[in-house]
Amino acid sequence: MDLESLNWKIAAKAGEGVMSSAKLFAKACKRQGLSVFNYYEYPSLIKGGLQSGLVSAALQGATCQRRHLDLLIIFHEKFINDHLAELDENSLVIINANAFDASKYPELKTKVVAINLTKIARDQGANPLASNIAAIGLSACLFGMDLGIMGRVAVEEFAKNKEAAEKNLLVLQAAFKLAQQMVDDSSLTPFGNLINTGVDEQILVSGNEAIGLGALAAGLQFYSAYPMTPATGLLHFLAEQQNDYPIVVKHAEDEIAAINHALGASFAGVRAMTGSSGGGFALMVEALSFAGVAEIPLVVLEAVRQGPATGLPTWTSQGDLNFILGAGHGDFLRVILTPGDVQEHFVLSKLAVELAEKYQLPVLIMSDKYILETNQTMPKMLLKQENKRFSMLNDGQLGETGLTEGEYLRYKYSENGISPRSIPGQVNALQLSNSYEHDEYGFAIEDAITTKKMVDKRAAKLEALQKDLPKPLYLGSKNPEKILISFGSTINVLRDLLLDEAAAKTAVIHLPCVCPFPALELEGLLEGKNAEVFVLEGNATGQLAALIKRETNLPKLRSILRYDGRPFYSEELVEFLKNQQLNEQYRLI
Amino acid sequence: MTEINLANLMSPVAPTWCPGCGNFSILTALKQALIELKLNMEDVVIVFGIGCSGNTADFIKCYGLHGLHGRGMANAIGIKLANHRQKVIMIGGDGDVYGEGLNHLVAACRGNHDVTAVVFNNHRYSLTTGQSSPTSNKGTISKSTPQGLIEDPIGVLSIAVSNGAGFVARAYAGKLKQMVEMIKAGILYEGFSLIDVQQPCPTFNKEQDYAWYQQNVFDLPVDYDPSNQGQALMTLLDKDKLGLGILYQNNARKAYHDEIPQLSEKTLIEQFPKEINLSKAISEFI
Repeated sequence: MDLESLNWKIAAKAGEGVMSSAKLFAKACKRQGLSVFNYYEYPSLIKGGLQSGLVSAALQGATCQRRHLDLLIIFHEKFINDHLAELDENSLVIINANAFDASKYPELKTKVVAINLTKIARDQGANPLASNIAAIGLSACLFGMDLGIMGRVAVEEFAKNKEAAEKNLLVLQAAFKLAQQMVDDSSLTPFGNLINTGVDEQILVSGNEAIGLGALAAGLQFYSAYPMTPATGLLHFLAEQQNDYPIVVKHAEDEIAAINHALGASFAGVRAMTGSSGGGFALMVEALSFAGVAEIPLVVLEAVRQGPATGLPTWTSQGDLNFILGAGHGDFLRVILTPGDVQEHFVLSKLAVELAEKYQLPVLIMSDKYILETNQTMPKMLLKQENKRFSMLNDGQLGETGLTEGEYLRYKYSENGISPRSIPGQVNALQLSNSYEHDEYGFAIEDAITTKKMVDKRAAKLEALQKDLPKPLYLGSKNPEKILISFGSTINVLRDLLLDEAAAKTAVIHLPCVCPFPALELEGLLEGKNAEVFVLEGNATGQLAALIKRETNLPKLRSILRYDGRPFYSEELVEFLKNQQLNEQYRLI
Repeated sequence: MTEINLANLMSPVAPTWCPGCGNFSILTALKQALIELKLNMEDVVIVFGIGCSGNTADFIKCYGLHGLHGRGMANAIGIKLANHRQKVIMIGGDGDVYGEGLNHLVAACRGNHDVTAVVFNNHRYSLTTGQSSPTSNKGTISKSTPQGLIEDPIGVLSIAVSNGAGFVARAYAGKLKQMVEMIKAGILYEGFSLIDVQQPCPTFNKEQDYAWYQQNVFDLPVDYDPSNQGQALMTLLDKDKLGLGILYQNNARKAYHDEIPQLSEKTLIEQFPKEINLSKAISEFI
């Protein structure tokens, strides 16, 4: 039987290697031509605690994690209780053990098979951690996957250690063979044969990596940050690129230094970025305001996790929207992009770097743990990217400018608010980039007339800027009974929801940019629609709904809120569409 | 190219410092140092902190970044990494660099970033009307410490010497020629140079006036060896007498940017990727 989709999960203690094995499994599914969503849950510690890696793969869809599992592999029996809600009579559980006593778990409807994965690894002379490889070997057999592809993925992963790679391959093959024998003697039932399309044109990247790729494509040359989950992945990815691309990555002493390094680099003419989560970003906001008044291009990733304060460091949230909207003292223009899937993270990250330079302002990318640390497939991007400079004197070329001394003015008044920016090293283009309010040269001023003119000049950028911003996306029914509005990563779940027949009369609107707010566009999309409108967001107070109410004339909005660190699940939203009921982890107002 | 001369450095804005302020002579020394080094106007960037010292931003013409209180050092490091051919100078006060920005000062030392910090040290927060600063003496009575300052002054030059700064010097606003030499040597040094300039604040620091300084500063002896880190630290332990000159210089240590392979041939700004091929970056995602 051909299989078009699978939902697979591996769970163990932190430090037991499930992160990498889940990624291997996800990659093998991608290589078979499927779309993949590879989602992780883990505690904020290095050893112990439950950690899981989930792979949803499908020929069509697989845009988000699924609650229901086909196969669950667990390394410790006690974890079975954590997963009861994900299992039914069609699921299978493999437990890394010699035996399993089902009578201890009366509520368990699922078949559980005990297999000693560690022994499979040991028998091949491999490290006990290779029990993970045994797990994916068994899985490959049960899902009828191409063992050759799986083997290549595993060998590539361990390319730096040839001996480990060879042993892992033996473990993989031994586990596959064992599963085959168990299928033959009917102690295991395979799920079918996962489709192999033979067309492998996608890449499998996390949201963080997609942002990194987008920024790199846009000519980002400087990234400084202080590690903080879930933004750390971007720091790691870009740091790794220093060997191959003209980029400097600086692990700064704190977030205040990180953003100020980036501002310094940007002032000197290179495209620069910083990133953190809410707590680190909180330390950056004075400098964000500096970028605003001094008109220094800057991109900031705010990787939201469940707060407040230290909160739940490794769990998701969209609770920092109000903070990002208001971060920084004084009035200044900013852009806040809220990408959805990893492809949009790539596209909007590139756009963020360009917009920051073109309009000489801070551009924030608001994303969250859910998508930043999830691996998702996206089509391969154009590999050869071209870049040009924006709004810079002499296109940023150092040396002679053709100007005479005293002619150039950094903050020269202009209709669209943009003044060509000089950089150190350009002749006769001296300027003072100033955190004080300033005159056209940059010298500090305090007079009322210049102050107002400068505030107005910066604000004037809005008109041109709006044309360059991504527009709201409308999906689903043309004549909906319900419209679900969301921003950021939630679209991944809503795309999946739309595939369900319960959503036949449902439409979805995704906002990839919330500041400047696309009021006219959103009102236009809702015009003439006689539907109940719900705003879905990952926070407790309905921050996006409040923003929409402030910025538009839209009538009644209701909110569907989740603020327990977990993402939305399409299965739970299907229930809502069918019965108007949400489980107790949601709040409907 | 425009060579630096006094006319080119002249700002249309007149200084707003108090009569008798040490800042006047420090600015004169800075300009003189830049002129004597025969640099070009476009090859120097000065980052300014916030305070009376930071206000120098308006009183000199140059490529300038007038940033936030305490954070100028972090800006300066970013500038240097983006374009390491620039001579990057950071100007701030004792409150700015030794108080609010101390973490960044230590980072600049540890990295030996090729930035020259000139710290206008008047032992007061003068722009905010004279509160005690990290370098004020214990017992200092100010508006924020009317019962007398309880803390000891920070031994910041010892921190610099013991944490990797390649060049640490002390100058005094009352000795112009020495100041010029210190600033020149700091700019020429390829690594982090910290020049602490002791200066009177006639408005808010009546205890440490010119007369006090005449009694309490001395030139380091002729046989003083700046390469001797231990001797430098011993000299700095004496907080009562202020030795002037190059306290410490380590010529063996590379500047931060010199240890970055991707900057070995060209500056970062010269490598702007007009075309970029993502093949390598996506290879692990295929």
